[in-house]
Amino acid sequence: MKVIEIKNVTFTYRGNNEPSLLNINFEVEKGEFILLTGPSGCGKSTLCRLFNGLIPHFYGGKLEGEVIVLDMNVKDTPTYELARHVGMVFQDPENQLFLSNVEKEIAFGLENLGLPRREIQRRVKEVIEYMGLENIKDKAPYELSGGQQQKVAIASVLAMQPEILVLDEPTANLDPYSSLDLLNIVTRLNKELKMTVIIVEHKLEMLLDKVSRLMLMNKGRIVLDKAPQEAVLNSKIKIVGVPKIIEVYEQLKGTGYDLGKPPLSPEDFVNTIRKMVDTHG
Amino acid sequence: MDSIFEGFKFKKKNTIIHNLDPRAKSVYLVMSFISALLFTEPIPLIIIFLTSLPLVFIAKTFREWSRSMKSLSFFIAFIFILNLISMTENRLNYAFSMVFRFLALTSAFSVFFLTTTPDDFMSALEKIGLPKEYTLMFTMSMRFVPTLARDLQIIVDAQKSRGLELEKGSLIRKVKNYVPILIPLIIYEIRRSIMIAEALEARAFGALKQTTSYTELKMKFKDYIFIIIIIIFFGTLIFLKIFNLMPVWMTIKLPEIF
Amino acid sequence: MVETVVEVENLYYSYNSHPVLRGINLEIRRGEIVAIMGENGAGKTTLIKHFNGLLKPKKGLVKVFGVDTRKVSVAELSRKVGLVFQNPDHQLFAETVEKEVEFALRNFGFKEEVIKRRVEWALNLMGLTKYRNRSPFTLSIGERKRLAIASVLSYDPELIIFDEPTAGQDFLQKERIAELLNLLRTQGKTVIIVTHDVEFVATRFERVIVMSQGRIIGDGSFRKILSNLEILKKARLLPPQIVKCAWLLSDIGIPRDIIYPEELVEKLEKILRR
Repeated sequence: MKVIEIKNVTFTYRGNNEPSLLNINFEVEKGEFILLTGPSGCGKSTLCRLFNGLIPHFYGGKLEGEVIVLDMNVKDTPTYELARHVGMVFQDPENQLFLSNVEKEIAFGLENLGLPRREIQRRVKEVIEYMGLENIKDKAPYELSGGQQQKVAIASVLAMQPEILVLDEPTANLDPYSSLDLLNIVTRLNKELKMTVIIVEHKLEMLLDKVSRLMLMNKGRIVLDKAPQEAVLNSKIKIVGVPKIIEVYEQLKGTGYDLGKPPLSPEDFVNTIRKMVDTHG
Repeated sequence: MDSIFEGFKFKKKNTIIHNLDPRAKSVYLVMSFISALLFTEPIPLIIIFLTSLPLVFIAKTFREWSRSMKSLSFFIAFIFILNLISMTENRLNYAFSMVFRFLALTSAFSVFFLTTTPDDFMSALEKIGLPKEYTLMFTMSMRFVPTLARDLQIIVDAQKSRGLELEKGSLIRKVKNYVPILIPLIIYEIRRSIMIAEALEARAFGALKQTTSYTELKMKFKDYIFIIIIIIFFGTLIFLKIFNLMPVWMTIKLPEIF
Repeated sequence: MVETVVEVENLYYSYNSHPVLRGINLEIRRGEIVAIMGENGAGKTTLIKHFNGLLKPKKGLVKVFGVDTRKVSVAELSRKVGLVFQNPDHQLFAETVEKEVEFALRNFGFKEEVIKRRVEWALNLMGLTKYRNRSPFTLSIGERKRLAIASVLSYDPELIIFDEPTAGQDFLQKERIAELLNLLRTQGKTVIIVTHDVEFVATRFERVIVMSQGRIIGDGSFRKILSNLEILKKARLLPPQIVKCAWLLSDIGIPRDIIYPEELVEKLEKILRR
């Protein structure tokens, strides 16, 4: 089932001469977990904002082509309507936590949608349990660590039960442990709740073994759109760098060893090596 | 300077006053306010001031309240002297009354804000019809105060690290030195507000004219009792004043020494 | 001229009666390139703020270039210590890029000809010459970051500290930062970076200091520190991928302190050839 269809989209921000998105074409099926990456300024954040209508409604500018999300034409659908189905989590946790405590924050989106109080209470409780936020539910945003704040941001969006979740560099301000923790939660949402997830990130090493598809952008265009194991072998990936284990894999391949498909994690790599050692020895 | 604000910042405690519905407390505040403005005689004003004291004690907020009151002593002295010089007759009496009016007002506000969270205050306003945008604006401003303070500190640190010396120089120099502080701050917060606006949109803000509410304010028995007591007490005072029925001892004036 | 640039003796610091630094002892010599790593909240930023006097010790001593930081102002220390903050938007304010880079030079009282020369050099170094008359706020985030660096390098401090220089940066931007650090090294500068980017630090920083909960729990070469899983775990740092592979394969003869991909390739080839 197609959840997103982007056809011949070109977009120029108001006041800019050059388009930020050029001739974008792709489709997303339900349940995919997509990593969207590329160098600074390539248009990945701009692309994200098409999915919930921030472009064109919040940012203005010239949008050419078709953007269809869950059979809704984004150009004709206001953001608050799309927000029911497309949840978005941004980079800076501070700017997406508006209220004085966690519980109220999670309820906020549901209040905006006009859900009855009982339903809001039920969903808030459910989400707090699912995300393990019981012991921080009364805390104010400034009392939380960056990782906790981002979890609350995700929870607030999750409560609205969107079919699609979009995350724009959610781990940019987090330390490694918190980053991995957050990405594991996002993976859970994709696997357990069957959410379609699109995540913009630079931290390839933490995501390659989790996503089903890698889209690489450069200068406003999509230059690579493949499954992770194919994507890392494509020369275009060099503009964002490959994880070190891929470097090792390629060097060994160059010497003549057949390691099969490229490893997406150290564990993956180690398994391949062990198999080779066993067959050799 | 900071200690003035201590008496107006919410502190979480479990007392009857803290647990009263904010609307009930608002009734107290409004009645105190009206009464304090109505009277110019010292005795009733002292009485109005004294009514806040039992509330301060029940709410266990004496320390914060007294710190605020003490640090306002400058204003109190100022009010006293100003009124002493500017009035023509009954100077001492009037100056004295004004001091107690000031005390009565600030004390009532102090009790209110020490025992009511900004959120509850906003919920109360919403219940009486204030549109959600305004309450959200207020709640968000309060929530971002620590964030702004932190940004300001970072900016000051960053510019000091580039050799900016804020204490040195003439008055003009000192004012100019604030440009490298204010400009990054303003621009940073403008950028921040755009990101906040985006996030609000993404959370379906503005989808409906009438939103529902997660928290509900329910008036309980004790709230009604409190309101009734307040209305009887202050109502009586106001009644006495309006219909000129004040007993003699209430109208005692201080002698004309000056 | 071997000199101790930073000397920290038994440093304690608290914020709002909450202890942030608990007995730091540290010496950094001229020309060293050091990475200070640890989880968010370990005290790294608090520590480096003592190096230019923004913070003064609660207990203990901090000497920078031989001077007790409590005895001088931030402005005086900043003359020799450059601190590049993480977010450039916390400091950009001038009408033009050029004036932004001049700011520190003017504050320190440099002569006009020197200012012009230094600004030229700094703009050139960071690739910003073509933007010199533009408003800083019209630059992209990457360019603004370079501008913040240029405005610190312009007055040529001897100790340069970067707070999380690679946060949010893409691959090419990180490469450029690495090149810059190399350049500073060849100029004999002393460089400290605060970061939790293990992959960036691996192979590039000869000295790595790890902090956790206000204390230094590790101080040594990148090889020694980044292959020590215990220290990394305490500081909530993930090991570099190569180190992880090495540990997982240690039972088949791979040494645990491998950091470079080439080293792993070499060892694996030896084993697979058997």
